[in-house]
Amino acid sequence: MRDSYIKQLQQMHTELIRMGAYCEESINCAVKGLLYDDAGLRERAFYLEDTINLKQREIEGFCVKLLLREQPVASDLRQITTAQKMIIDMERIGDQARDIAEISTFTAASSVKSDIHIADMASSAIKMLTDSVDSFVRADLDKARQVVDYDDIVDELFDKIKSELIDIIMADPGKGGDCLDLLMIAKYLERIGDHAENIAESVVYWISGQ
Amino acid sequence: MKKRILIFSCLLAVLSVLLTAALFQLAAFNNYFAEAKQETISETNLIKAAVETVGESYLDSIINVNPELRISLMDRNGDVLYDSDISYESLGSHASRPEFIGALTAGFGESTRLSDTFGEQTYYYAVLLEDGNVLRTARTVDSVFASFFRLILLTVLIAVAVIIAAITIGARVTNSIVDPINRLDLDHIENNAVYEELSPLLRRMKHQNDIISGQMAEIKQKQQEFSAITDNMREGLLVLDRDAYILSCNKSALHLLHLQIEFPLRLNVLALNRSKEFLSAIETVLDGAPTESMLHINGRYIQLIANPVWDAGGAILMLLDVTEREDREKLRREFTANVSHELKTPLTSISGYAEIISTGLAKKEDVPRFAYNIFTESQRLITLIGDIMLLSKLDEYEKVNPPAREDVDLFALTQEILPRFYDSAAKKDVSLSLEGDSAVIYAVRQAIDEMIFNLLDNAIKYNCIGGSAAVSITKADGAAILSVSDTGVGIPLCEQDRVFERFYRVEKSRSNSVEGTGLGLSIVKHAVLLHHGGVTIQSDGSSGTVISVSLPLAAG
Repeated sequence: MRDSYIKQLQQMHTELIRMGAYCEESINCAVKGLLYDDAGLRERAFYLEDTINLKQREIEGFCVKLLLREQPVASDLRQITTAQKMIIDMERIGDQARDIAEISTFTAASSVKSDIHIADMASSAIKMLTDSVDSFVRADLDKARQVVDYDDIVDELFDKIKSELIDIIMADPGKGGDCLDLLMIAKYLERIGDHAENIAESVVYWISGQ
Repeated sequence: MKKRILIFSCLLAVLSVLLTAALFQLAAFNNYFAEAKQETISETNLIKAAVETVGESYLDSIINVNPELRISLMDRNGDVLYDSDISYESLGSHASRPEFIGALTAGFGESTRLSDTFGEQTYYYAVLLEDGNVLRTARTVDSVFASFFRLILLTVLIAVAVIIAAITIGARVTNSIVDPINRLDLDHIENNAVYEELSPLLRRMKHQNDIISGQMAEIKQKQQEFSAITDNMREGLLVLDRDAYILSCNKSALHLLHLQIEFPLRLNVLALNRSKEFLSAIETVLDGAPTESMLHINGRYIQLIANPVWDAGGAILMLLDVTEREDREKLRREFTANVSHELKTPLTSISGYAEIISTGLAKKEDVPRFAYNIFTESQRLITLIGDIMLLSKLDEYEKVNPPAREDVDLFALTQEILPRFYDSAAKKDVSLSLEGDSAVIYAVRQAIDEMIFNLLDNAIKYNCIGGSAAVSITKADGAAILSVSDTGVGIPLCEQDRVFERFYRVEKSRSNSVEGTGLGLSIVKHAVLLHHGGVTIQSDGSSGTVISVSLPLAAG
């Protein structure tokens, strides 16, 4: 009885890792789809969004089943409630990756993207996500706290990109459409950073109870 | 166990107290009753004698002499004539009483009767008087039960005392049995001082201990062997259980996966890597199919070979760093592609010119020009093929078949080579110069020849009109240094690393105007490597290049 409970907890953990991996892949695909103008990768981001949604529902069911059947307490209970919070953030990341891929369809061919720091911002956001998932799978409190701090860098990059885009529009109003699209993408990346921060905060709560 | 022993000993004690009390009571009562009987009989006989001599009036005189004794007198019909206790008129006939019948028939009779409450027991004794009346005496004593009940309180008190004693003593005894067992030093069985009944157990435990420690040593040794193997191999090894949790993992695996975590026991393997390839490989192998995939971790190619474990479930993963192999493979592919391309370009133009001539489309006066073009293109092909062959020969020298070496004087050799460039130098108006003095190295003459030739060739080819190319030969720290400097176009800083690659040419569009195969510096590098020397490039990227080759001097 208790054995199967522990096994179920472990399985939940594994499924969360898997969901995290899907998120990482989808944002990677979306960003590369934008930077290298690769429609196949963007397609993959669309597909992954569905996978992530399914996974979210699966884990959600898992959590509820565990809560009802086993009535966990203390750190187990924390782990499950943390999982419930994390999957919401991960699902949002999947949505935003999909949105980036969608906007990229119109703007990937434009040259504006190489004039701004969008690649830097993307790699920062991806790093945040990777680190937050890492901190979760290895129960690494320090890493989780680093991710929370790292969010400022992504926010700064967003401001930088915003002013860069303003300059470009002022210089060449013809590029306005592309610039607005890229601003949206930057905003999505910034949101992804926030979600990664949320995940890291959940991890901190899970490990330390604070 | 201790509880059971205590309960059992209490029961035993109580039981024995009760039984003893009961038996003792019974025996004592029997004794007392028999005495009472005897007393009654003799008293009756005395009364009988007295009544027979004195008459019935005697009975009245002895009333209250012995209050325990009840005396009655009956006629032969059983009607009571006299009774010392109760007024005899109320009593009915005693004719049916066994003692009365006994007295009538045998002269005396007796019987014992319990009272209705079982509390008392009465003994009747009757004798036949001479006048035919029956004299009966009765003595009532407490029954056996009554006397027992009188003693019950005492018995219970004793029983309680005995229970307390049994518990105290029992506990003490049990402790003295159990404590030595609990205090056994299991690691050093022979050092235990215990009562002798335990020694067979200890002997057996010692035997077991010996077996276990033997097996432990064996297992430890195996484990050490295993970790010696796994920790010292460069390949990463991971053993997973059926749920993909890590059972065993060596350092190389963590290193190859680029992780700085401590030993990840009881961690899901997905915690180590979450790439798509890794995930699907794990999924496949846990479904029971062996699989191979390529991971790209931190700029290195890691080959993942996963094999399922059939009987227990789970999987064994091997990780190999195949970056070098992949790089070599890539180089080889590039080389093949380059060679084909380089060979195809001159062949295409040769074939084109030849086609025009053969179809007769070419004007007569153009034919010699076309033929000349065909000639130069074939010359280029020949040079290219010669270079490729030379390179592969140098490759072979390096690897399998070292050629004969001899003393080579770099200065003399350069002097020998310089005249071959007089024509080409004159065409570009480049002045050639040589300085320094003789430096003898122990080397493969042909390779050094090719090396100097290619260096000079480059120095002239990539020079500007009216420039100069200078060769200087010096000696330093046991090495001969041959520097070729030119006043040419130079090599950009960022490309200085790559110019030694086969077919690599600085700025492809520009260099097409200069004839060359892109193999020259590659040949130089190979020749230098063959002789364990070094080569450096100094160039600011815009004007002039100095390429210095250092080669170890011949011994002595």
